[in-house]
Amino acid sequence: MDTQNLTYVGKDIPRIDLKDKAYGKVRYTNDESKPGTLSAALHISTHAHARLKHVDVNEALKSPGVHAVITGEDFPYQVGPLLGDRPPIAYKKVRYYGEPIAVVVADQEHQAKYAAGLIKVEYEPLPVLQSPREAIKKEAPLIHENMKDYTVMVKGVHSVPNTNIANLTKIRKGDMKTGWKESDITVEEKFSFKPADHAALETRVSRAEILKDGHVYIYSATQGPFYVQKLLSECFNIEPGKISVETPLVGGAFGGKGCVQLEFIVYLASRAVGGRMVSLVNTREEDLISSPVHIGLEANVKLGATKNGKLKAASYEFYFNTGGYSDMGAGMSKAGAVDCTGPYKIDHVHCDSYCVYTNMPYATSFRGFGHPELTFVMERAMDLLAEKLAIDPIELRLMNAIKPGDTTPTQTHLNSSNIGDVSSCLRRIKELINWSEGQSTTTQDGKVRTKGITSFWKTSSTPPNATAGVILIFNIDGSVNLNSAAIEHGQGTKTVLAQILAEKLQMDMKKIHVTMEVNTKYDPHQWKTVASSTTYLAGRAVMAAAEDAIFQLKQIGAVALKCLPADVVVGNGKVYIKDSPEFYVNIKDVAVGYKFPNGNSIGGLIIGGGSHIVRHLTPLDPETGYGKPGPQWTVGAQAIEVEYDPQEYTYKIIKAATVLDAGKVINPNAAIGQMRGGMYLGLSWASRETFMFNEEGRVLNPQFRSYDILRASEVPEYLVDFIETPLVDGPYGARGIGEYGVIGMAGALSNSLSIASGSSLNQLPLTPEFIWESVEGRND
Amino acid sequence: MINFDFEYCKPKTWAEAIKQYNNYRSQNKQVMYVAGATEFISRARMDEVNPEVIIDIKEIQECRVIHQQNSELIIGAAVTLTNVADSNVFPLLTKVVKQIATKTERNKITIGGNLMSNLPYKEGILPFLLADSKIVIATDKGLEKRSILQVFTDSINLRDGEFIVQIITDIEIIKQPFFTEKRTKQSSVNYPILTSAAIKVDGLTRVAFSGLCPYPFRLQQIENLVNDPSVKGEKRIQKIMKQLPAPIVEDMHATQKYRAFVFERIVSKIIEQMEAVS
Repeated sequence: MDTQNLTYVGKDIPRIDLKDKAYGKVRYTNDESKPGTLSAALHISTHAHARLKHVDVNEALKSPGVHAVITGEDFPYQVGPLLGDRPPIAYKKVRYYGEPIAVVVADQEHQAKYAAGLIKVEYEPLPVLQSPREAIKKEAPLIHENMKDYTVMVKGVHSVPNTNIANLTKIRKGDMKTGWKESDITVEEKFSFKPADHAALETRVSRAEILKDGHVYIYSATQGPFYVQKLLSECFNIEPGKISVETPLVGGAFGGKGCVQLEFIVYLASRAVGGRMVSLVNTREEDLISSPVHIGLEANVKLGATKNGKLKAASYEFYFNTGGYSDMGAGMSKAGAVDCTGPYKIDHVHCDSYCVYTNMPYATSFRGFGHPELTFVMERAMDLLAEKLAIDPIELRLMNAIKPGDTTPTQTHLNSSNIGDVSSCLRRIKELINWSEGQSTTTQDGKVRTKGITSFWKTSSTPPNATAGVILIFNIDGSVNLNSAAIEHGQGTKTVLAQILAEKLQMDMKKIHVTMEVNTKYDPHQWKTVASSTTYLAGRAVMAAAEDAIFQLKQIGAVALKCLPADVVVGNGKVYIKDSPEFYVNIKDVAVGYKFPNGNSIGGLIIGGGSHIVRHLTPLDPETGYGKPGPQWTVGAQAIEVEYDPQEYTYKIIKAATVLDAGKVINPNAAIGQMRGGMYLGLSWASRETFMFNEEGRVLNPQFRSYDILRASEVPEYLVDFIETPLVDGPYGARGIGEYGVIGMAGALSNSLSIASGSSLNQLPLTPEFIWESVEGRND
Repeated sequence: MINFDFEYCKPKTWAEAIKQYNNYRSQNKQVMYVAGATEFISRARMDEVNPEVIIDIKEIQECRVIHQQNSELIIGAAVTLTNVADSNVFPLLTKVVKQIATKTERNKITIGGNLMSNLPYKEGILPFLLADSKIVIATDKGLEKRSILQVFTDSINLRDGEFIVQIITDIEIIKQPFFTEKRTKQSSVNYPILTSAAIKVDGLTRVAFSGLCPYPFRLQQIENLVNDPSVKGEKRIQKIMKQLPAPIVEDMHATQKYRAFVFERIVSKIIEQMEAVS
């Protein structure tokens, strides 16, 4: 496939932050401290749904070291990225257990926390809704009584006032009557899982300072510094240029740091103490429940196919459980609708995807953005269909794999560039997981080994104007500084951008210096580092900036070499004459101004700039879903092998495999790492991660000692391979790959365990008790 | 972060510890003994405990020993679970404590702390219950030796101001064939749905359990049934189920029904495996 003859792209180049990370020298947001910084602490709700009758802060105000205590009364307005429905600090009522009610600002962190414990809240408990199916019923109590007055922040959010529906996305493709008529066989099933968490190692942290001239400085562990700037500007009516946001490296995000939450609070806290710098650091408990979580879902699906296995019709009802506030839940419910069918050609599709309020912690983006969720539902249904049709699950998927020339549920036309090769991924995963030895075998000690398969797709739910920029500045030694607002949160994005630049400039990687930290004051705008979009958006911006720099280098180089710009090329640290490379001038001698032997100089500084913006995206038609939701579809296939103990209902995950159509793999080792990390996250979620609630909606496990996470000793053997079907407008053909490792894991695990246990497992997490209950229930 | 102030004492002898305790108590202060302090820290940061004084007993010589004397194994209360496991002086105890928490935590958690834990599990106690161990307790009147079976009901009952210095176990019992298994909701690192331990002494199987009921237990009635081959299979298990000291726990880790299922499975396994050893 490597016909492009590339030097840096496609190579296993070590991560540029490797040494600092290995030596523990990397600085995260909370590693910086400035004398005089005040500390904030939250007082959080002990009720899941209640009216706040009285919040008594008097004792807290009198406590040693306390400067201020703020409550929802100090800022009784709603904020939110899509629908303005959430007061930064609870106002008049609380809608989930753990919701911030008051914020104490004190000299020292322990003083703030102590005083926060002195705040007394009088609650009037309200009925608690814990299931989106329940919450959507007509008689269900309203969690947001004034939804009709809420501001829609982004076009395409359709809330339904006087219900608990924050967003409704409809897909109407083809004609369902025809679809069902053409179907010889149907399967129908229900699915559900409760909210879980991102559980990043670094808890969320923000600091704010307001200078006397009105400039606001925010320091935050965020995936979107410019997004923080945008939302603070909209919310507090501050000119965006007066808000500076700084983010060093981020210690794990998984979508959870794409939400703006603590930034609002810490700004209000700083404002309450005359603009002094205030720091707010989540405890683990707060990070798990007060800050936003991984969305839950309840779903119904019905598939129709011919007796030969051709999919004809699909109908979906998704009830996304967004918790007390919609945040990005309203976006994920849309993303779930947009790609509801998975990577299969289906002519007749009906989907109603609801974003539903409940009294659970509120949801924000989670790696995969609605896709791990929809894929669990769809891929389980595909296996049920395969079983009913007695067709091999891989064959059924191959038979229906979507291809160029087909259309998506929102009727976007697919071509040989904007969709990857599903069939090749499926054929390769079949080899990787050794499918031919059988989907189910029995071990000598009576255990069952089974394999489960999924295929999946995803497009980036970017806004229609998502953009990224890059600035290149040359040093006097001819090396280049690369500045972009892409956030490094462990995914290796800065290394990938440096590789693209090295390729484009044909320059040694050692000569490329990437600024790891992001500062909205010095770095060009970038939407956010989310949606597997950075290699594409910032990568294209790097290429544009490099072309800009090359153009300038050629202009000056040609003067120095006494020829035309068209006669010269840039590479290996030189500008040289194309047909006579022995005639050259070093980049270091032109990049900061070229000086002739007699002292005369020309050129000045070379500064390369470039940007990229997604194009031709549209909001969806509210009645049919017609529209173009994202720039391209990355596709893949995954498999799991488990060893199941039919006596104990326990299991071990033996192997996890991913084959992804990456378009072009820019850094194979890093890409394999991304796939492994994704599989880990997906397996942890599918096998054990969930919040547990009591009847009052209290979260019972807001700590790592009881919030179960896959341990290093429990990870399977990982198998990863790539297919490369270039994305024509991707950098060197690359597609977004960041989130994809997670997407098919829950489906593959439930498929393998359903075969092993003989019971269709349609809930997450897949714990031994749940399997036991399903099998026992079936036997009853 | 712990947001309140407290005094910290680190006595060198058990007598000094007792004296300090009584001294602070006479000033009406809340006093707490700690060794590894893992539970103190995790509870204090959640505002579940707020003592005014903590007395750290881990420097007391008697609390730090692991050695054999005559026919007895002596383990100091402040020996960490990691050291208990690494020394491997009591193989059943090694296996049981290695199932508690994570290595990083076991480097701090002490055996005495585990026995006196506020959590319902206290899995470290199971081997000592099975071995009829004795515990050495520091009291006003000096060191006292008491049988663990006597002082343990739903927890180890100490009088105000007393603390465990050592646990003494008969060497012969340590060498006996044993069984232990911990079951959790999913990850091996979690609280137990059930932790079981068994040893076979003089042809009779002794069993103890944690996680099933609100406290660990070893009961004669249950052991009688475990050792009664005249009641067969399923029936024996059903009879054992009727002898439990308290209702089976239902919580976020497992339902009552599932815990009962796990218990039945493990009891059959114990009977099967212990019958196989002579």
